[in-house]
Amino acid sequence: MDERIYDLIFICRPATPEEEVNKIVATLEHSSGEHGGKIEKTEKWGTRRLAYRVAKHREGFFVYMVVKSTQGDLIKELERRLKVSDAVIKYQTIRLDEELKRQQKLGKHRERRAGRRPRKQAPPAPPQPAQQVPAAAAE
Amino acid sequence: MLDQPAPPAPPESPSPSPAPRSEGGHTGGPPRRSEGHSGGGGGPRREGGGPGGPGGGPGGPRRGGKRQYFRKKKVCRFCVEHVDFIDYKKVDMLQPFVQERGKILPRRMTGTCSRHQRWLGEAIKRARNIALLPFATEL
Repeated sequence: MDERIYDLIFICRPATPEEEVNKIVATLEHSSGEHGGKIEKTEKWGTRRLAYRVAKHREGFFVYMVVKSTQGDLIKELERRLKVSDAVIKYQTIRLDEELKRQQKLGKHRERRAGRRPRKQAPPAPPQPAQQVPAAAAE
Repeated sequence: MLDQPAPPAPPESPSPSPAPRSEGGHTGGPPRRSEGHSGGGGGPRREGGGPGGPGGGPGGPRRGGKRQYFRKKKVCRFCVEHVDFIDYKKVDMLQPFVQERGKILPRRMTGTCSRHQRWLGEAIKRARNIALLPFATEL
């Protein structure tokens, strides 16, 4: 199976101490290693306002990760761990590799097209004398 | 533009058959949409023809015979910036396409092209799921 890239975001309760967040991250890294995956990147976004109430909280500590894996079981396991841990109030995993592939393809396509013929710069919308037309009509 | 001179050339004689046909063909939808279309495509033509001209047929009568102003053609913001992937994590990028209450703005308001609107909708829904954007604001 091809390698897949996932975005994993989880939200902890705002009162969670930093060590506990680190512990969760460490367990996720550990279990991803067991399942033949890899956590590429971990970002702590810090405490942010939630757009709506989640588990009676209006704020949450966001952690963002990029996971690479060839096995879908890893995601199942990671989500199970997040579900079990009390500090986590919300999580979301999104498979992104297909969209990134599409992005690369479109970028390449654009480069090719740009290389083939010198692209004319699309002229910006001509400044239309929109306001002057009624004035002229009134006269 | 090419097929218009023939049938509705005499504007004084209100022939019933061409008028509805042209209206149906050009501007089937609500008036707002028709403005957006004719503002871009038919703007310069109407400048010369005036209200009596054949081009004034579809848009003219509805607006009382005289066009008050030209609507600037809306362009897709993502196409201009060559965006190949709309990131759901960049909330400030998605915010302009969401109403205050959290609704996704329609294409006819923002001018987004259909492809980017599709990606945008997906990104907004992802952002909603992880509490970056509201489903609906609570009062």
